[in-house]
Amino acid sequence: MNKKIPIALLLAALPVFAQTDAQWVLEQSTLTYHMSHPMHEVNGVSHAAKGKGVCHAGQCDFLIAAPVNSFDSGDSNRDLHMVEATRGAQFPMVIVRTRFPEAQTASPIIYADLEVQFAGQTAQYKHVPFQRVSLGNQVRISGTVPATCSDFKIDRPSFLTVPIKNEIPVRVEMTWRPM
Amino acid sequence: MAQTGSTGQATGTDQKQPNQPDQQEQTSPGNAPSLGDLGFTPQQTQADAQMQAMLNKRTHMLKVHQTLGLITAIPMAATLITGPQAKAKGKNGQTITEPTAANLDFHVALGGLTTGLYFTTAYYSIFAPKIPGVKPKGAIRLHRDLEWVHGPGMIVTPLLGIMAYKQENAGEKVHGIASYHGTAAYVTAAAYGASIIAVSWPIHWKFWEKQ
Repeated sequence: MNKKIPIALLLAALPVFAQTDAQWVLEQSTLTYHMSHPMHEVNGVSHAAKGKGVCHAGQCDFLIAAPVNSFDSGDSNRDLHMVEATRGAQFPMVIVRTRFPEAQTASPIIYADLEVQFAGQTAQYKHVPFQRVSLGNQVRISGTVPATCSDFKIDRPSFLTVPIKNEIPVRVEMTWRPM
Repeated sequence: MAQTGSTGQATGTDQKQPNQPDQQEQTSPGNAPSLGDLGFTPQQTQADAQMQAMLNKRTHMLKVHQTLGLITAIPMAATLITGPQAKAKGKNGQTITEPTAANLDFHVALGGLTTGLYFTTAYYSIFAPKIPGVKPKGAIRLHRDLEWVHGPGMIVTPLLGIMAYKQENAGEKVHGIASYHGTAAYVTAAAYGASIIAVSWPIHWKFWEKQ
């Protein structure tokens, strides 16, 4: 009789476990935009992103955000110009949302549909591949968001009257851990 | 990592207008996390229209500064080139060959134009809005440090030039402190050129690549 009680409790608790949300938190990250000009190749790096992921009922929703002014290209003048050109004081955060099936969280490549809010605009990037590597209880995600200036209606900054390239790919390196 | 063929498609969705305080804070469907869950401070997430206006003005003024600075380099180089033709030749005790009035006047006019353009260029840098809390970093530091060479140089060089001009008009060979006019001009121009290169460095020449 005494043995039946814990088993009954366990059985009663099973549906509760099944409904429990898996939550993820962004432990560390490196976001790097690349800007190309005939005279300059520039990388701007931010480690200030924060993120959270919630998996529920077979779907995962992830949100990652970083302050626009946290990107450091090694030149304060260029960084301020970048914030100006991307309307970064008016829209101070770059926000990425994505949703994918929970089953993908175990696959080596995650194909994510991204919604990126930046510079007062929202752009969609479909089927962007991210490599996934498990390191203990952490998961490392890396990939490149194929962003362009025109996606966000950014007037391309120019130097000596020559504008930068439209492509500003953003390399993403993130380490996530379960909450 | 290989990219897929698909590229981002801008939806054209505008976010909130600048006068609205909380930027980009949208409700998320279902259990999806929201920006408020991430722990950013309000200062980080709030729109600052005043700061954006300041940045816009700063960029505008620095673009004018850049354009005028490059334009100034043209008469500055011409002034350096015409300098030797505006100089009396011959050693003391020998026959002094005075420059022609045309050469002298042309050099003086170029010097005047350079000085005027230089200080107009400087105005757009000096009075561009300063962004609080931003310390100069990178190539801009050397660019700014060199101001302490070519700035005084652009004051001293014309003054010495005026002294030299007066001495030559008086039929004298340029002497005393005025004889350093040329040296001051070369040092100033060198610092000015280095200042332009400093903000352009490192340079990768790839103009042949398609934009």
